[in-house]
Amino acid sequence: MIVDQILASSIVLTTPILLAAIGGLINRQAGIVNIALDAKMLAGAFVAVIVSSVTGSWLVAVLAAAGSGALIGLFFSLAITRMRADMIVAGLGLNFLIAGLIGFVLSWSFNSSGTLRMPDVQLLPKIFPQSLSSVPVIGPMAAQIEPVTLFAWISVLVLPFVLSDTRFGLRLRATGNAPQVAHAMGLGSKSLQDMSTVIAGFFSGMGGAHLALASIGLFNEGLSAGRGFIALAAFYFGRNRPIPTALVCLLFGFLDAVQIRMQTAGLPPKLIGTIPYFMVLVALCWAGWRSVRARERAA
Amino acid sequence: MPEAAAALRERGIERLEKGIGLVFPFIAALLVASLVLLVIGKNPLLVFSLIAQEAFGSPNRIAATLSAATPLLFTGVATAICFRAGVFNVGVEGAFVVGGLGAAFVGFALPSSLGLLLVPTGFALAAAVSALWLAVPGYLLARYEIEEVVSTLMLNFVALGITGYLVNGPLLSEKSGNNVTPLIHESAELARLIPPSTLHAGFLIGLFVLAAYGFWIRRTPAGVESAIVGQNRRFARAVGISIPGTIILVMVISGVVSGLGGASHALGQLHRFAEGFSPGYGFTGMAVALLGRNTAVGILFGSILFGALASAGTTVQLFSDIPLDIVNIIEGTVMIFAVVELGRIALFRRKAVK
Repeated sequence: MIVDQILASSIVLTTPILLAAIGGLINRQAGIVNIALDAKMLAGAFVAVIVSSVTGSWLVAVLAAAGSGALIGLFFSLAITRMRADMIVAGLGLNFLIAGLIGFVLSWSFNSSGTLRMPDVQLLPKIFPQSLSSVPVIGPMAAQIEPVTLFAWISVLVLPFVLSDTRFGLRLRATGNAPQVAHAMGLGSKSLQDMSTVIAGFFSGMGGAHLALASIGLFNEGLSAGRGFIALAAFYFGRNRPIPTALVCLLFGFLDAVQIRMQTAGLPPKLIGTIPYFMVLVALCWAGWRSVRARERAA
Repeated sequence: MPEAAAALRERGIERLEKGIGLVFPFIAALLVASLVLLVIGKNPLLVFSLIAQEAFGSPNRIAATLSAATPLLFTGVATAICFRAGVFNVGVEGAFVVGGLGAAFVGFALPSSLGLLLVPTGFALAAAVSALWLAVPGYLLARYEIEEVVSTLMLNFVALGITGYLVNGPLLSEKSGNNVTPLIHESAELARLIPPSTLHAGFLIGLFVLAAYGFWIRRTPAGVESAIVGQNRRFARAVGISIPGTIILVMVISGVVSGLGGASHALGQLHRFAEGFSPGYGFTGMAVALLGRNTAVGILFGSILFGALASAGTTVQLFSDIPLDIVNIIEGTVMIFAVVELGRIALFRRKAVK
């Protein structure tokens, strides 16, 4: 019974991380480490709540959130590719800027500090009938699935094909892996990078929409809770490959679900919350150690 | 003769570029902030003059500004030491936090009979803990080429998680509910310099650290070598500078400085450790270092500037209902334009060559 519930909430908690990680992965393949995923998620969540309340349509809200993420991504990308800004510092700066802008709008236009509650926020609809949840083990999990989660997992399945078998994917990877070659071949590297950052913004904005509209239906300044950075951790751990990255996201979502359970069971949730970050450190060490050893053997 | 004129022109352009480069991020930030203020129908000039008045208008307000600038002196130096060596350490925030907890622990856990020894012990433990904290990613970078950006970023979250657990568990104050440690002994508190304000002796320590940094980068072999590593690694290797050694050294010094900053904040400002100990001092320190171009004087001005924004922001919010978040907007814009500007200048130079 408890296992069912944890699995079901794992699925829900995985989706925002997974969407941001997909975006970050595509961006990384094109050679940009996107450290501002968190800001785009936050912006997406903010826009999603407002649009959902105003239009009463979850679909429009999700698209608006993804669009706002993409727009921020475009500005971010132009700063990096056209004005040669350092991507790390600019990314951190963007996190501050977006958080500041949202906080500003929140207290100025909505007269609230930190939380935005709107009337008639349309939540994401569940795809399958809720009677399904009586089916053991997978039932509760399947009952939770909404269109955004479905979209995320379809993207994961399509992505390996896009990256290795389409012109766009191959050019994208060439831009990231061999910038000089890509440039010499006349691939518009900068435009490709811009496009990848826009895609990253699109996905993370949608992840933000899921955070806000999956169940709570309100916006909070701490809503993203560092999930953009966990997504960064996920595609580093998954070494930029879609399927492994998605599995890592699933693990992180599971840890998140367990952590919420643990709070009631008395285990320290703060310590469990650090596990994803520790895992990234371990993964980085492992990869670094292997490459050094390989080099020493070759020498 | 034309050559001399060209050289002179070149130098003129260089100076101009340098001048623009120094103030450009700040001007850009003011423009963005002005735009936001105009949108909500406020006169930016009035707001800025209100901020200036609230930050520097009276001795009390100046003391408050310097008090807010104190942690930034430390985090600015800690960031600059690494940045100028080409080491992208974004983990000052985490090191500041663990150092602060270490110092606070000394301040309340050791017997108060130690008296005057408590303060130096607290600073020493904080420096040691934070140095160790950043030595780990330093070693990983030097030995295994593990990207320091990601490792230090992750360590920030680990630091927040561990300290958050400790102040809610083993080190929780029994008296005051949740998320805080007990108050430190009175003998462990740093002296307040101008009593009604919170300006404390940590500011003087910060100035000392800043001066030491200025001396170190210009007058010591290790300081000069680390700049060479930052500018050109191949050249540094060719002249026999140890790159792994330099990386570990700057990370350890950065840790020591972060730890001192955390100790100063714990023993001088809060008199305990609490969750949310640092509202992003480590990241603001990064903006300070970028704005100050890693120079000691630049860091001093950068710290005071951001200290002024932080201390005035609160009162400006009270008196003119302008949200405090305008400070975050300015900070983020400064960070973005501090790095954008490099590219802009390169464009400028290419034109000049043609």
